[in-house]
Amino acid sequence: MIELSAITKTYAKSAVKAVDSLSLTIKNGEIFGFLGPNGAGKTTTIKVVTGVLKADCGAVRIDGVDLAAAPLDAKRRIGYVSDNPELFARLKAAEYLNFVADVYGVGSVERQERIARYTALFGIKDVLSASIGSFSHGMKQKLLISASLVHDPDNWLLDEPMVGLDPKSAFSLKEIMRERAAAGKTVFFSTHVMEVAEKLCDRLAIINKGAIVFNGTLAELRTSQGVDDSLEKLFLELVDDSEEATA
Amino acid sequence: MRVFLSLTALYLKSFYNLPGKRAPGAKTTPKDVFKALGIGLLALFVVGQMGALFIATNMAMYEALAPAGLQGLVLLNMAVLATVLTLAVGFLTALSTYFLNDMELQFLSMPIKPKALLGAKFAAVYVAEAVVSIFFIASAVIIFGIKEAPHPLMYLWGILAGMLLPMPALALSYLIQIPLMGIARFLKNKQTILFIGGILGLAMALGFNLYFQSTLSRLGDPAWLARHVAGPDSLLAKLGSAYPPALFTWRALSDPASPQALTSMALMALMCMAGPALVVFFLSDAYAKSLVGFNESQIKKLGAAGANAFIQAKLRRGPVFLSLVKREINLMNREPVYLLNGPFLIVLGPIIIGILMIAQKDAFLSDPDLAGVLALLRNGGGAILAGLAGAFLGSGTSISCTALSRDAKALPFLKSLPLSAGRFMLAKLAHGLVFALFGSIMGAGLSGYALRLSASDMAAALIVAIGLSFLLNLGGLWLDTANPRIKWDNPMAALKQNPNSVIAILGAMGIAGASGYAAFALGLSTWVFAFWFGILPLLAFALLLFPYPRYAAKRIAALEA
Ligand SMILES: Nc1ncnc2c1ncn2[C@@H]1O[C@H](COP(=O)(O)OP(=O)(O)OP(=O)(O)O)[C@@H](O)[C@H]1O
Ligand SMILES: [Mg+2]
Repeated sequence: MIELSAITKTYAKSAVKAVDSLSLTIKNGEIFGFLGPNGAGKTTTIKVVTGVLKADCGAVRIDGVDLAAAPLDAKRRIGYVSDNPELFARLKAAEYLNFVADVYGVGSVERQERIARYTALFGIKDVLSASIGSFSHGMKQKLLISASLVHDPDNWLLDEPMVGLDPKSAFSLKEIMRERAAAGKTVFFSTHVMEVAEKLCDRLAIINKGAIVFNGTLAELRTSQGVDDSLEKLFLELVDDSEEATA
Repeated sequence: MRVFLSLTALYLKSFYNLPGKRAPGAKTTPKDVFKALGIGLLALFVVGQMGALFIATNMAMYEALAPAGLQGLVLLNMAVLATVLTLAVGFLTALSTYFLNDMELQFLSMPIKPKALLGAKFAAVYVAEAVVSIFFIASAVIIFGIKEAPHPLMYLWGILAGMLLPMPALALSYLIQIPLMGIARFLKNKQTILFIGGILGLAMALGFNLYFQSTLSRLGDPAWLARHVAGPDSLLAKLGSAYPPALFTWRALSDPASPQALTSMALMALMCMAGPALVVFFLSDAYAKSLVGFNESQIKKLGAAGANAFIQAKLRRGPVFLSLVKREINLMNREPVYLLNGPFLIVLGPIIIGILMIAQKDAFLSDPDLAGVLALLRNGGGAILAGLAGAFLGSGTSISCTALSRDAKALPFLKSLPLSAGRFMLAKLAHGLVFALFGSIMGAGLSGYALRLSASDMAAALIVAIGLSFLLNLGGLWLDTANPRIKWDNPMAALKQNPNSVIAILGAMGIAGASGYAAFALGLSTWVFAFWFGILPLLAFALLLFPYPRYAAKRIAALEA
């Protein structure tokens, strides 16, 4: 379970609040979609939850553990796929995976089993001994996803994970998300692909200019807008409306 | 032309990491001013050191040649050296900037003429060359100006020569490199190029060093002077006449107000500018073509059974801290720029000193001034020297003082891990200390061996080397934690253009120098010295180690990388 209460974050070198008093709860067993236009504050929110950024105020709790009070305990419960897979070109894939697994304290047997499974699923098992610098964008993304699962986290946060994935891998990723939610784990991901959000998410939130403009199920969104449209149309209306409101 | 100019501006910014335009509304804080001032002072210091070497050489040469009325040869020597120097520096810069990054492949897809592409790169590399060359020529011309009070036109010719001499040298570099890159596929690899460039650069630095040193030490020998510098058959005269631009420069500067000076300079300008023009005209297409394929790298694939065996063999649990340190070492040693400018110093330093010692042995041992020093070294001073050599090798690797800057891109990832920031920063320190230990052993051990130190002197030297280099590594890391260079495009910038590494190296040199001086001046005995400069620094290191992780954690939490 991930709980955010009244998170506000302003970057040091900017005057605007990237995230403004944002509260959200993602329950166990839930696939939660995080939508919003570019620059809305999705990545910032996810970075605050994963402990990469420090919020100005507000609290984050992971499975009830306060991130500020017990950061290491909270972070151990998270698997994080960042939006930037361009990391460590000089390391070999296996070295990177070993590093991550060591840091999360994963035993040899478990890591071998999980890495074999996920890398086979994503078709990168045969390049484990190669250096990450020789990977394509999608291959790096798949490595990042595999690494985020090496400690079998209860809370999985993914920042635009579909970017650069081929159809088969995107399908596998969605399967893993469903499987984890069915096992009672939390999945929280940001995306720009409306069809994915529509089909996959149990609940979703739409963020615009740092504030949540909708939080609920797709059915609830339809009711609140009073039309039976696709998520795409609803999204566009909602984001557009709020823009006029602030203009 | 517009395309050429904006490309040149882009390359200049990217090569030399110039700051971009300030965001509107951004205020200049006192910290910015202080920073700029500090960097300026450091630059002045480094340039001053180089200038001092140039001036000393030219000065000594002038004084050796003036009694025979041959002082004009200083100018010929200057022109030849300026050419050779810019050829060396130019060749390396051209090589290391031949292919910058994938951004350049994007240029190929834009409506940019190959001539503009090569022309802009040439111009951007040329700027640095011209600065070096003018600087070098100025060091000779100023001496000449003070001693001989020549016609003021000489200064103008000097500056012009400084601007012109690098052009053919750089053109030659591209003339060699472009066809080579076209043919040799294995060269089309940034890493290979950086390695070759690094090794060539070291060889050249060594060569110049030897040249300056041996010229300086042999200028007193008239026979040598006649053979190498003066006289129609001398090496210098041959080089000068074989290379017309050098000859023209010499002529124009020797008699600056004559009409021949003007024609010499005009001819020289024509010859020098022809080089770049021809290269850009004829080789641009080949250059653009050779850029394709630079980012390729081969990928090893495992078979299905191989992959399973690999996973069984290689994916194994290890201690977290060791894992962290291993990551640090791999990331540094696999990046050629980092390796060559960092840990490689430990191997390179002794090689350079060794070669210099062998080359200078006779001059060294026969110099009456040095007899006293040698005696001092035999009577306990050797331990001091060996200790300081070890301290320098152990702290000059730039590992600790750039540790956070080099890792800037991975900071968000590291911060998301269940690790305290103090812990992964301590892993960075451990990385520095491993090499500090290695450097101490190499430096103190090798010089101790060369000086035939006793076992107890050797132990004292080692303690000093380890104490000072550990403390300096922690100091460097603290510096980089307080003021890391977070924003960079090219990994080179995190180390080579990081003020922290300059401060740390100068600091190491300063402390080695000052403590050496103090030890000799106060006549400290070996073990008293080892206490003050070995055991005490170790204690200070231990004391500072306690507050460091907390400080680091606070600093890193505040970073928004
Ligand atoms: N490092 C930074 N420094 C300053 N401001 C930043 C930084 N990163 C993001 N911002 C600002 O914070 C706001 C939110 O950005 P964020 O990256 O969270 O958006 P996003 O919703 O993830 O967008 P996208 O869909 O493009 O990924 C933007 O206005 C952005 O300009
Ligand atoms: Mg984002």
